[in-house]
Amino acid sequence: MSKSKNSSQKSQTDDLIGAALVIGGGIAGIQASLDLTEMGFKVFLVEKTPSIGGRMAQLDKTFPTNDCSLCILAPKMVEVFRNPNIKLMTYSEVIEVSGHAGHFFIKILKKPRYVDEDKCKGCGDCASKCPKIEAPNIFDMNLGRRKSIYIPFPQAVPPVYLIDSDMCLFLNKGVCRVCERICEAQAINFEQKPEEVQIEVGAIIVAIGFDMLASKLPDNWGYKYENVITSLEYERILCASGPFEGHVLRLSDEKEPHKIAFIQCAGSRDFHIGIPYCSSVCCMYTAKEAIITKEHSNSSECYIFRHDLRAYGKNFYEYTQRAQDEYGVKYFNSKISKIVEDPKTKDLIIKYEDLDDGKFHDLRANLVVLATPLVPSEDSEKVAKILGINVDKYKFFKEKTLYDKLSSEQEGIFLCGFCQGPLDIPETVADASGVANKVSTLLYLVRNTLLKEKVVSVPEKKINLEDEPCIGVMICHCGINIGKYVDVPQVLEYIKTLPNVTVAVDNLYSCSSDSQTRIKELIAEYDLNRFIVASCTPRTHEKLFQETCEEAGLNKYLFEMVNIRDQCSWVHMEQKVDGTKKAKDLIEMAVAKSRLLKPQKESKLSITPEALIIGGGISGLIATLNIAIQGFTTHLVEKESKLGGNLNNLYQIFPGYQKASEFLEPFVNKVKSHSNINIYLNSNITEIRGYIGNYDVIITTKGNKVNNIKVGIIIVATGANELIPETIYNYKKEKNVITQLELEQKLRKENIEWLDNIKSITFILCVNSRQKEGITYCSNICCTNALKNINILKKLKPDLALILIYRDLQMSKKGNEEFYRDSRKNALFLRYSLDKLPIISKTKNGKFNYKITLFEHNLKGEVEFYGDLIILATPMIAPENFKELSKMLKVPQDQSGFFLEAHVKLRPIDFATDGVFLCGCAHWPKNIQESIAQANGAAGRAIRILSAKEMKTSGLVAEVIEDYCIGCGKCADVCPYNAIELIEVEKTFEDYTLCLKKSNINSALCKGCGTCGVQCPNSAIFISHFSFKQINAMIKAYLKN
Amino acid sequence: MKIVEKSDKKQVKKDREFKPNIVCFCCNWCSYAGADLAGVSRFQYPASIRIIRVMCSGRVEPAFILKSFKDNVDGVLVTGCHIGDCHYISGNEFTKDRFERLMKILKYLGLKDRFRLEWISASEGKKFAELVTTFTNQIKKLGPLNNI
Ligand code: FES
Repeated sequence: MSKSKNSSQKSQTDDLIGAALVIGGGIAGIQASLDLTEMGFKVFLVEKTPSIGGRMAQLDKTFPTNDCSLCILAPKMVEVFRNPNIKLMTYSEVIEVSGHAGHFFIKILKKPRYVDEDKCKGCGDCASKCPKIEAPNIFDMNLGRRKSIYIPFPQAVPPVYLIDSDMCLFLNKGVCRVCERICEAQAINFEQKPEEVQIEVGAIIVAIGFDMLASKLPDNWGYKYENVITSLEYERILCASGPFEGHVLRLSDEKEPHKIAFIQCAGSRDFHIGIPYCSSVCCMYTAKEAIITKEHSNSSECYIFRHDLRAYGKNFYEYTQRAQDEYGVKYFNSKISKIVEDPKTKDLIIKYEDLDDGKFHDLRANLVVLATPLVPSEDSEKVAKILGINVDKYKFFKEKTLYDKLSSEQEGIFLCGFCQGPLDIPETVADASGVANKVSTLLYLVRNTLLKEKVVSVPEKKINLEDEPCIGVMICHCGINIGKYVDVPQVLEYIKTLPNVTVAVDNLYSCSSDSQTRIKELIAEYDLNRFIVASCTPRTHEKLFQETCEEAGLNKYLFEMVNIRDQCSWVHMEQKVDGTKKAKDLIEMAVAKSRLLKPQKESKLSITPEALIIGGGISGLIATLNIAIQGFTTHLVEKESKLGGNLNNLYQIFPGYQKASEFLEPFVNKVKSHSNINIYLNSNITEIRGYIGNYDVIITTKGNKVNNIKVGIIIVATGANELIPETIYNYKKEKNVITQLELEQKLRKENIEWLDNIKSITFILCVNSRQKEGITYCSNICCTNALKNINILKKLKPDLALILIYRDLQMSKKGNEEFYRDSRKNALFLRYSLDKLPIISKTKNGKFNYKITLFEHNLKGEVEFYGDLIILATPMIAPENFKELSKMLKVPQDQSGFFLEAHVKLRPIDFATDGVFLCGCAHWPKNIQESIAQANGAAGRAIRILSAKEMKTSGLVAEVIEDYCIGCGKCADVCPYNAIELIEVEKTFEDYTLCLKKSNINSALCKGCGTCGVQCPNSAIFISHFSFKQINAMIKAYLKN
Repeated sequence: MKIVEKSDKKQVKKDREFKPNIVCFCCNWCSYAGADLAGVSRFQYPASIRIIRVMCSGRVEPAFILKSFKDNVDGVLVTGCHIGDCHYISGNEFTKDRFERLMKILKYLGLKDRFRLEWISASEGKKFAELVTTFTNQIKKLGPLNNI
């Protein structure tokens, strides 16, 4: 019996393919691909445009940190490019899919670039000589121009040109071929034809992103006028590498606009044009664009026309407040009727109703930026058809269930990012890790079956530091990119004369594969122990040359790279003499450093393949299950006596109205019955020691039972609490003033007699949140919860009077806007503002318990009504005990007390400390759907580590020279990764022993930034590859003559 | 023949004109990428700087600046990611502190105008080129360091 089971498992494995297809190369596709390879799967990344990067590459900055978008994205793009297990197929489209989950057959059409991807060096000589009149630059939202042979943007990946076949003179008229003559690398190939490629994969991820709807907008938004642009167009204008080089100019006269109006919801939430949903990110990016405009020119005036303010994420609401308070951005709570142009000045007149004073006004602006709706990519229906999946009524891809947005209805096909529904970048990134996890749960049996392992056949050379350095130098002409502006032969002759330079050569293209062979030959022939390449930028090419050195048996840290193209020949095109001198200096400085280079060891770290999940709410349960299913022992610690967390207190859940208890049950049962899962109820973590891959944890269960476990990773899923509004609205004294959770608990009792005496219920939203002081944030989920409860109550007792008092309604995300419109019929909606809070007083005699007095913000008048029960929607807050955990785990909290992720945009579920991850409400208040997706993400991030048997640490680390260390601990104070600890070391002097404090750096955690080395008062820290001596030698070499 | 001589003289004169020697530290993630972008975009600037790449601006020791001046470098630039953008979370905040303190010493030594700390993002190629140009001009005005 068991035998047949085995063989069936075997045949099951036989049919599984350990590879995935990712469609779409935006941030979603990039993150999913990178995670997948780390989990042991091969990836085919198919992108329809010529470069990966997607929409995020077009943004100038990102909210709410104002991080430069490309700064954080570009390294990831390069990582994809260099990853041997990602087959990048740009300018390609999936045209046919067959097969089933675990084994799909895919046909991909590769469009001709007319440029050989392997030969093109991205120098751009072709474009500079291309005679064709310039075409609109799509990357710049058609604001800038480009040639018909072009690269989409300077940081494009792959960094390869292509020919626009509609524009090219030769392809259309049969004359020209200038590029072909110019290209030194002979990369132009007019013979290229569309090519069909067939692949087989086990799973498919769809991440095709969104488009910005503008041209189809109704006329009243005025998009047809020159000075009315979309926010994505404005991003390009703001960007330092955009069409105006970062100068804020308007299109009609290329003059700086003084008054800029930003219009939110320009088309979104508009049932007439078929976009009933809220695009979810516009409130925030508009605030960002206004802030950045003010940073560009403080004298400019920025006006934001808003409807509701939906600033629901971490630090979002505060950010919109800063825009007003610090930057002087003016918000109008308004409805726009129309935007018209003044034909003489090309200014715009915005006709609007100010909802604060109820009157109609005109505002004249020099430039109008529309936050137009973000809509599904125009390809979505086509792609859906090819894949055999469904789209929803908005044409976003349809998710499997309301609570599983990462899966499509088709098994083995997963959804990620904006193509499933509106969301922001951090959520996209978390979802990307989540879908990678989904793929991994499907294909874990064939993990690591298709990965290319690098095999180095030549053993590493032993280097004695006392040995004379023998340095080889290769200087690149880069076609004519360097050679034309720098006198390479002269540089070469000079470099040959330097001490320790054993051999120096020049060549046409150092990055070509024959050059790699050459480098290896040189190292062998001259027995070199250092190597230098002087060519382009190490940011894209260092890894390639390092690998070549390794293949020749040279430790990769003995390689050094000099940038004489991007930072020399290309920026000194008219200064050949000085440029040549500079190239000589730069290489000479590198030679000086090279002499002092040391081989660095990349040590291997074993990983305990077990996981610890802290918190047994829905996030913790999902994370636990996902890890256990893939074969890893998982320890789940819950402080209460029961699994389920906050769901144990809810009645029905949003948006499906299932009973929370029924929803929860199958998850709890699965966790309880899974053989890989150990559950610790009534338990707390009392000690954590160690680091990624190797944590020792002590779990203490009530009654002082102590468990010691060893785990490789930890996921924090501790949830959050509802604020108890002790002092507000007389909550403490009045038994009929209750919180939303208390209402849910009342509803949970099947018996609803308590409703009998109640005729009217009032919900007050934003209680004690979104304030100037105290709790400043929007808690994200209270609005939808309140509406859900209103609908439930109305159903239970149809003649109940329900009143909802709100400030702004947070109804972002797919479906919620309609849910809100639909719920309107069940309650009376009244609006208040922060400066005039509603007043609740007790009635003495009458039929009702309370009188509520309110200044209705939209009506501009006082309203009075009566109620029996008041429901306070208070925010979710971080529980007190986070502090303790944060100390134990050495991870930070944000100013609101929630756990602080490593990077708010691109590492939303990691902590800065490697090996510890985060999900659910412990990160930020979120609903069930979002918690589940994020828990999948956290599981995915963890699986990367658990599934690798060992980890390689980087050689770029700091090391303590123990004899110099005085144990002051200053280094530990500045280390952002908690990689440094003070340990006690025994030192014996003749006949007595002393216990000394010494700093100890964990190379598994160190990222090599070097800050500790600078902080050390006694120069006791050696920063490998960037040591004090090495940098000093470079400075010295510069002006030695 | 004569013409050649004349142009030679011109060249000699041009060569004698003061060309500052400047060391520029760039962090690997933002400012080095900004310098690369200046190149990719072909923004021209004087060939007066020599870039030393470090992983983070937090690696740049104040001693490196003093050492540079001691070795007769005419000016030093330190560049890093914008505050909040540091690849290592907070490295550049330490940089900022350290160089504010160093500034006091440089003021005392009369070197403060020969040093500058700037934040450059990966998309600010233009800003990088302009920074080098204006800083070079500033140093030109001050003259060579050994003249002081
Ligand atoms: S990495 Fe750029 S300043 Fe730290």
